Amino acid sequence: MRSYWALARGSFMVGLVYRFGFLFSILGNIIYLGVAYYLWRSIYQGAETLRGLTFNETYLYVALGSTVFILLKTYADWEIAYEIREGIIAVHLTKPLDLQLLMLAYSLGATLMNLAAITLPTVLILTLVFKVSIPLGLGLALFPLSLLLALLISFCFDYFVGLLAFYIDSNWGISMTKEIIITVLSGALIPLQFFPAGLQAVLRWLPFQAIYHTPLMLVTRPDQGWETFLPMLGVQATWAVVLVVLTRLFYGQAIKVLRIAGG
Amino acid sequence: MSLIHIQDLSKHFKILNRRQGLGGAFRDLFSGDYRTVRAVDGIALDIQPGEIVGYIGPNGAGKSTTIKMMTGILKPTAGTITVNGQVPYANRIRQAQIMGVVFGQRTQLWWDLPVIESFKILKEIYRVDQATFDRHMEVFEKLVGLKELYSQQVRTLSLGQRMLCDISASFLHNPQVVFLDEPTIGLDVSIKAKIRSVVSELNRVRGTTIILTTHDLGDVEALCRRIIILDKGKILFDGPTKKVTSLFGAYRTLKLQIDDFDDTTLSSLREKLAGRFGRDHGVTVASIEELWTDVTIDQARTPLSDVLNFIMKTFPVFDVRIVEISMEKVVQQVYEGALG
Repeated sequence: MRSYWALARGSFMVGLVYRFGFLFSILGNIIYLGVAYYLWRSIYQGAETLRGLTFNETYLYVALGSTVFILLKTYADWEIAYEIREGIIAVHLTKPLDLQLLMLAYSLGATLMNLAAITLPTVLILTLVFKVSIPLGLGLALFPLSLLLALLISFCFDYFVGLLAFYIDSNWGISMTKEIIITVLSGALIPLQFFPAGLQAVLRWLPFQAIYHTPLMLVTRPDQGWETFLPMLGVQATWAVVLVVLTRLFYGQAIKVLRIAGG
Repeated sequence: MSLIHIQDLSKHFKILNRRQGLGGAFRDLFSGDYRTVRAVDGIALDIQPGEIVGYIGPNGAGKSTTIKMMTGILKPTAGTITVNGQVPYANRIRQAQIMGVVFGQRTQLWWDLPVIESFKILKEIYRVDQATFDRHMEVFEKLVGLKELYSQQVRTLSLGQRMLCDISASFLHNPQVVFLDEPTIGLDVSIKAKIRSVVSELNRVRGTTIILTTHDLGDVEALCRRIIILDKGKILFDGPTKKVTSLFGAYRTLKLQIDDFDDTTLSSLREKLAGRFGRDHGVTVASIEELWTDVTIDQARTPLSDVLNFIMKTFPVFDVRIVEISMEKVVQQVYEGALG
């Protein structure tokens, strides 16, 4: 495991090299938060609750959603596709390392960097400037764990699309499609409560909601207790295990293509 | 027992025949028109522990494909391959622990980080203990002067410095075998010499087996007692380097630019050379690059200065370069029975 920690640490340090990029990420996020504030204000128009959510809850959900967005996007799909195209993948494959854990370590390092440099400052601005109050409670305490599971699930999707690059020359189109599907169906933009009931029922059985909806709901509805949170985390954990297993099986197939068709 | 054992090894790739133009590109989407490329075509060789072997051949000869099979990245189409008694692709991760690899065109170092960080990460990856790590870094410091580069970002290193770091890094975990794939490509003469001395010293100190692929006969001459010449996936020659260098070391190529060059120039040059130096003069003429005419001379039979003088007098030459014999030329000569 120590080798993968070393990789995550390296990836974290690479993030530090590009420290000025963070300022722009924060700035962009703040502009979005401002726009979202007025958009949702006008949607609520004085209504106490919509779909069972108050304005404060919805805005907290949306604002936090855009803030953790940068944490949960791993870019493993772009990374793998790039490495295959440039032949760098061969360098990884001559190391005593598992490709999935290596990519996960890279993602984890970058995520920790983004957490420190983008997410935490944005949350500070959110509470101090926009006066959004984040309710303290059990939900918030479970939030980091839920976020970690969400990262694992999001990574599996990116990693899967990355492995597709073993089969096709360019996974760009599939990457974009995946991006849109996850952003919309996971509740990254708006709470799933605002979706039509039929669609909600379907989404409950898909892994996408476990990426954004689950962790964000933990924080926005902290009034609930273990009996609500435990099943939510249970579903998340199940999806994480299922997707890790599936991607590992898929790797076994994909690597054969490389081994047979050349790298 | 040999460290690397290869028997009847082949690797065939299926490659889609691409059509021309936009319409062709669309039709390729549904095409099943493949051709088979025999990148490696039934080779056999054994490499003993501690050897440095030069594995050479022109572009597309199958050198890198063989290396990728030895490192377990590629699975052979047919034949057997074992490294240290194990099949490389069957357990890539375990086998990687006993190997070091340098791909000359790529780097295993972290592009954005200071040099020392890459070494620290490799230390963890290969589970090298602190004492061994310190000892090895000391050796690299002595050979390469690595310390000066510790705090420098890899991206700011010169190609030669980067290569020296990459080579050092591949020896960090004391592997049994190190593969150096084109380590001197694109480097100038002084750095090449430095790299050769570092590699030979690392081999001497640690007894590490080294497989070196290169375009440059000079690398092989300086480092390897044994040379394997590969072309079109087949081994043309496997034997002592001396035999090859004694044969080709005397060869030089005159590269000429001749005024008013036309279709008849080459044949008239050949005729005149035969007239002046006789039939068995060891001088061959070819035009490989545009504008340049290559005259390859076996100095053991005809002195280069005589040929140069003669050509300068008989042809309107306006530019001359003298180079060592190229890999392509060696392969051609071997086909023609030079080593037979």
